[in-house]
Amino acid sequence: MLDVDLRVARRMFDVAAAFRVSDGERLALFGPSGSGKTTILEAIAGLVALAKGRIVLAGRELTVVGRNAGPGGRARSVELPLWAREVALLRQDPGLFPHLSVLENLTYAVGRRDGGGVARLVEILQLQGLLSASPRLISGGQAQRVALGRALMSRHRALLLDEPYRGLDAPLRRELTQLVRDQVRAHEVPAVLVAHELDEAQAFADRLGVLDHGRLLQLGSPSEVVRRPSTPRVAELVGYRGLVPVTAADGRPMLAAVHPERVRLGARPERGPVVEGRVVACRPAGTGWEVDVEIGPGLPRPEAAGPGGAHPVPARERLSFRISDPPAGPGSDVVLTLLDPPLFDRDWADDTPPPNPA
Amino acid sequence: MAASLSASGALAPLAVSAGAAAVTLLVLVGLGTPLGYLLARERLPLARVWETGLLVMLLMPPLVVGLLLVFMVGPLTLIGHGLSDLHLSATNTFLALVIAEIYEAAPYYVLGAQAAFAAVDPRLEQQAALLGDRPPRTLWRVTLPLAGPGLASALATGWARAIGAFGAVIIVAYHPYGLPMQIWTTLNEVGLSSALPFALLLLVVALPVPVIVYGWSRHARR
Repeated sequence: MLDVDLRVARRMFDVAAAFRVSDGERLALFGPSGSGKTTILEAIAGLVALAKGRIVLAGRELTVVGRNAGPGGRARSVELPLWAREVALLRQDPGLFPHLSVLENLTYAVGRRDGGGVARLVEILQLQGLLSASPRLISGGQAQRVALGRALMSRHRALLLDEPYRGLDAPLRRELTQLVRDQVRAHEVPAVLVAHELDEAQAFADRLGVLDHGRLLQLGSPSEVVRRPSTPRVAELVGYRGLVPVTAADGRPMLAAVHPERVRLGARPERGPVVEGRVVACRPAGTGWEVDVEIGPGLPRPEAAGPGGAHPVPARERLSFRISDPPAGPGSDVVLTLLDPPLFDRDWADDTPPPNPA
Repeated sequence: MAASLSASGALAPLAVSAGAAAVTLLVLVGLGTPLGYLLARERLPLARVWETGLLVMLLMPPLVVGLLLVFMVGPLTLIGHGLSDLHLSATNTFLALVIAEIYEAAPYYVLGAQAAFAAVDPRLEQQAALLGDRPPRTLWRVTLPLAGPGLASALATGWARAIGAFGAVIIVAYHPYGLPMQIWTTLNEVGLSSALPFALLLLVVALPVPVIVYGWSRHARR
């Protein structure tokens, strides 16, 4: 079990997050660049100092700063050195030791002991034939597999993955993701992946945390987070492209978040709110079409997110969405169904982050 | 040429030079390497002061260094008194020769070592630590091997500076004669033709180490 409750001071904003990951569980932290994802992993690994908080792994305190848990209620602090933390960190840069062979990199943490483990891992990672090669001479994908193997060979009680597949092509990513999932299951350790692409996070995780400006905005199952984002900002981060005013089933006026892949032509009131609009433009996209629609007259103007919102989501009158059949041309009126969209109050004032606990 | 080299005692300067340069290298490796590492990782208090000191040593004319050494370790100074209590002297002795060579070679070695360590990606050291290595083990398994070629180059330069040291040496260690002093006095007292063999000998002793080391470090960096 990895138990994290931390605050790290950064120049622009503090990163604060609290979560638990059980053994064998896979958590993905998803968010835009600079939202503090990597900082969280680095804090767990011991590479950045906490301003405050506590990190406990498998019952051992890795870091404790400023808790009134010491004798006489005084603040105490614990900071296990890197080598004692037993945390495997895989980064985007594989960080192989250039003066050692692939095999020596793989067995770095165990030396010549445990030959059987290496042989099995070499087979799983498909590194046969590369063992005597220099890391300088292998491809990016191979280097990432070696780095993964090296991390798995080490004594670790948690696996941290910091966008390790960035820059690799899609099939290789899928393969590595599956490999890591299998290994996490086999080793029964908590695993945390940091990703700035939703697909990657979803493919990996049992649970998904959405991070923005150093705050964990929502933590839940991947489908819950994607289908029921807790705030308009989360909706925006997971791919919703705007808000349109609709009337909820109970008659209340609401804002519906629109996902470009969850809009259908035609009125299907049993599947979600129906809106009218006019086609502004359409263009081929992938195997289907992307259509821009102006939400029709007669509908109230959507309210912009209220003042004080840290990241007001612009309420749009124009929607873009994808359909599989060619639409009627620009200028034609259309009726659209938003498939079971997340709904927010019209006067949603935002995503103001909770006040900093003193 | 052979005659002047084989003259009785003429090979002594070779032994003196090689011995003093070897001791100098030992001191540089033992003290200069950690200093270079601490400077590279910015873990030294007053790092700028150290760096400035090294640069000043590097840029000062060796003759001036020699004069300063007289004021630092000469017989009338505090250090000189301390040494004489130990029945040592840093004037015209082997010790004086080593001190002068250290002063001339140290900045080259320490600044070279600093550059060699600075070129080692600290993330690799972090990685080694995360894989369970304590700091001394990380140093041994990652830092030193990666800095090795750069350290070797710095050491080769240090060796060449030490064995060829002259400016500071002529002030504080006129005796015992090392090769550079031998060349100088032979040139003054006998003439060019007698000094040349010693010059050749100095080249033969001083050059192979740097040449071999440079060749190896180029190969190792590939």
